[in-house]
Amino acid sequence: MGLTDQELFTPVGIRQIPEKPAGKQRWHHGFPWISAALMTIIVACCMGAELLMTKDPTFMDLQNCSVAPNAEFLFGTDTLGRDIFSGIWYGGRISITIGVLATVISTMIAVVYGAVSGVGPVWLDTLMMRFTEIFLSVPSLLIVLFLQAIWGEANMLSLSVAIGVTGWAGIAKVIRTEVRQIRSSEYVLASRCMGGRFFHVLRKHLAPNFLASIMFMVIMNVRTAISAESTLSFMGMGLPLEIVSWGSMLSLAEKALLTQSWWIILIPGGFLVTLLMCITNMGNYLRKAANRKESNL
Amino acid sequence: MMKQNLLLYWGKKALVFLVSVMVLSVAVFYISRLAPGDPLMSYYGERTEKMSVEEKEAAREKLGLNDPIHVQYVRWLQNALKGDFGISYKYKQDVTEVIGSRIGNTLILGGIGFVLTFLGALGLGILCAWHEDKWPDQLLCKGGTLLSCIPEFWLSLVMILVFSVTLQWLPSSGAYDVGHKHDILNRAEHLILPLTVVVLEHLWYYAYMIRNKLLEETRADYVLLGKAKGLSKKKILLGHCLRNSLPSYISLMAISVPHVLGGTYIVEKVFSYPGIGTLSFESAQYHDYNLLMVLCMLTGIVVILGNLIGGIINERIDPRIKAAEVTETSEVTWD
Amino acid sequence: MPETLLDVEHLSHVFRLSKHAHIRAVDDVSFQLHRGEILGLVGESGSGKSTVARCLMNIYQPTAGVIRYQGVNILDRREFARNRKMLETRRQIIFQDSASSLNQRMKVADIIAEPMHIHHIKPPRGSLREEAAYQLKYVGMDASYLDQYPSELSGGQRQRVAIARALSMEPELLVADEPIASLDVSIQAQIVNLFKHCNQEHGFSILFIAHDLAMVEFLCHRVGVMYRGRMVELAPTAELFGDPRHAYTKALLSAIPYPDPVIQKNRPRVDFEELEFDREGAFTEVTPGHFVLQEDRR
Repeated sequence: MGLTDQELFTPVGIRQIPEKPAGKQRWHHGFPWISAALMTIIVACCMGAELLMTKDPTFMDLQNCSVAPNAEFLFGTDTLGRDIFSGIWYGGRISITIGVLATVISTMIAVVYGAVSGVGPVWLDTLMMRFTEIFLSVPSLLIVLFLQAIWGEANMLSLSVAIGVTGWAGIAKVIRTEVRQIRSSEYVLASRCMGGRFFHVLRKHLAPNFLASIMFMVIMNVRTAISAESTLSFMGMGLPLEIVSWGSMLSLAEKALLTQSWWIILIPGGFLVTLLMCITNMGNYLRKAANRKESNL
Repeated sequence: MMKQNLLLYWGKKALVFLVSVMVLSVAVFYISRLAPGDPLMSYYGERTEKMSVEEKEAAREKLGLNDPIHVQYVRWLQNALKGDFGISYKYKQDVTEVIGSRIGNTLILGGIGFVLTFLGALGLGILCAWHEDKWPDQLLCKGGTLLSCIPEFWLSLVMILVFSVTLQWLPSSGAYDVGHKHDILNRAEHLILPLTVVVLEHLWYYAYMIRNKLLEETRADYVLLGKAKGLSKKKILLGHCLRNSLPSYISLMAISVPHVLGGTYIVEKVFSYPGIGTLSFESAQYHDYNLLMVLCMLTGIVVILGNLIGGIINERIDPRIKAAEVTETSEVTWD
Repeated sequence: MPETLLDVEHLSHVFRLSKHAHIRAVDDVSFQLHRGEILGLVGESGSGKSTVARCLMNIYQPTAGVIRYQGVNILDRREFARNRKMLETRRQIIFQDSASSLNQRMKVADIIAEPMHIHHIKPPRGSLREEAAYQLKYVGMDASYLDQYPSELSGGQRQRVAIARALSMEPELLVADEPIASLDVSIQAQIVNLFKHCNQEHGFSILFIAHDLAMVEFLCHRVGVMYRGRMVELAPTAELFGDPRHAYTKALLSAIPYPDPVIQKNRPRVDFEELEFDREGAFTEVTPGHFVLQEDRR
């Protein structure tokens, strides 16, 4: 008899419910403080770029091309002789603005499209969802490329719109599923019996219910949009060299590789990845928070 | 009766596929023709600028660029159905030939990358689920989040910077060195860096997916039963949980084809790897309509097929998806 | 003769499940509802009671039949559109599951004021909030609940909120779709009393759907019995309970427990699972006001 009482009487088949710490869980449980702080700093610095810039980020100082970081050029200069330190803040502002703008556009399209598909009759829903699938199946890079080609030379607005109109399908699908689930729930029926029209029901009943579940996706959309901007600009299909953004700064990378100027690649890229990482952490926190709240209902 | 139903089922799927492909082709055709830019530039290159108006007009007529778009489309479709996809304006070769010379490279890169991602993610996912919330799991999750935030092109750049430029261990571009076309070792050497990027970029996401799926399964009641019967952890996790989560993982992988493919295209571009990806970018930049059209269709068909297969697997695993569709039809309509 | 508020003629509704399967949820149902009356609708689950209610509220578009509300054919699109506002304010529905008929993310005050908000009605008692408080008080809850969410209320309280929301429009017709089915017995009594009060004091007409026969006997003036989509019997309450004619009604009434254990034990029980009741025939008036579905005996 090697078993202790404890082992003998450990019940099988009872779920181990982890003990919850006493008191209510506070909202900031698991809040990514570091990411939030870093993100705030980066965004604030980019917004106040003029205060930080030591040089004109667009000025090509041809005598100082590809200079390694030193006291005068804190982060060095790129192959065209532009100061990277100033460019980071100045270009970051453009990158972030494009990310936010594109997301706003995507979300607006997604809400209307998803809600219409969700409440519409079955044939319309099938048609619209089939379209999103086809839309999703075309590589979004190609769509952006086409749009860019139509509008000619890219600028901030056109690039935001191009990225925005390619990024709505995922969110629209989620909204549509959520709306389908709640549209025949009795409070929506009740609201309609009282005479609530489509936009009333959307605003009062549907939106509050799907907002929590798309919040995470919206945040992630900012991330995707910033990433897309940099990728496109790097490929030479986004912002031209003259408009400084993190992506267009990186588009000099190939020349930088030849001269082994690591700072031209690593510094803007480092900022880019750090910001994306912070956004991801915030998004993950939001998703977990939303799930937690829902299960408590 | 059963057989007829089955026929109907596959017929429907085939119809969806055909309609999707048709819509895609019309959309690509129209958008590419509406885009500004002169396709003559890609055909005649620099010479275009020296051409007189009449010469240009004649060249356009010859290439059939003056007809209304729908006429051009019908003509393209007729030829395409006969297997004639036209010639590439830039390479002055049959489109199929141009693509044929490149597609092998992309298939090797994308295919090997896909398989490696698939298997690696499976292994990593099981590892994480096994050590749930212990240090290997946490490390892998954190590392995965970080990697998923790095854009493909930048990861490629860093790889080149480290391994090609600084350490000079591996070549940075192309599929093989000049004169080594049939040297497998040389080709493999060129493949290592792009392949690493493709796999690294996607591995984590799918590993995370399978980890979560497995953990979800371990919360199910049958696991308790297995425990009560005295089955080992290994047997429960690998024998039961994994088997239950595998079909949905496979369907996820099928649906994820566009992501892996898109990633491959970017990686190809950064490493100047002569595949479909670089060709796509080129053809779009140079308005090489015929080439662009076929490339888009090719990509689109792979993706649509992936989606379709994923959907079919999903329906097979989860009859609720179909049941839900049935109940929806009896629902309320909006006025 | 009291005024006819609602006139349902030969109402049928078929749900199509797929190409081959469909369900006749409501099959040739006719009845009238008079002003100031409580009409009960009873039957087992799946007998089509709720479908009738939803057709009355224009939630479903029935396959066949005519529904007239004060002479307005509400199934006719044009007539419905013309009288839309009138219909939306004068007809109100209360659902069975109060948890899902109230939006979990809205406060009680907003829920009750929602119909007034939709129709831009100027609240007679000043603000929308005061109006909500007034309605809440009317259904027996005090103003302290105004800022709570439905999830913080009990089932009975939620159902009261749902009733308060319906009453805020001062409707003429209240369609109550099993409003007490998911409540405790003591709460059921309170809610039923509330309905009775609404009817007696304010003259609301109510279509009361339930499967609890005791409550129906207590509350309703007339009762209709539904069985598999058909109305098999319709009669004034006392007559239906005293002199049931249709076999199904008799079986249903035999299921009411008798408050004496000895008698209750010895009563014959009817097993509904195995029985198949007559659903054919014509709806005929056997005595004035008492309709039964039966074979034509002429």
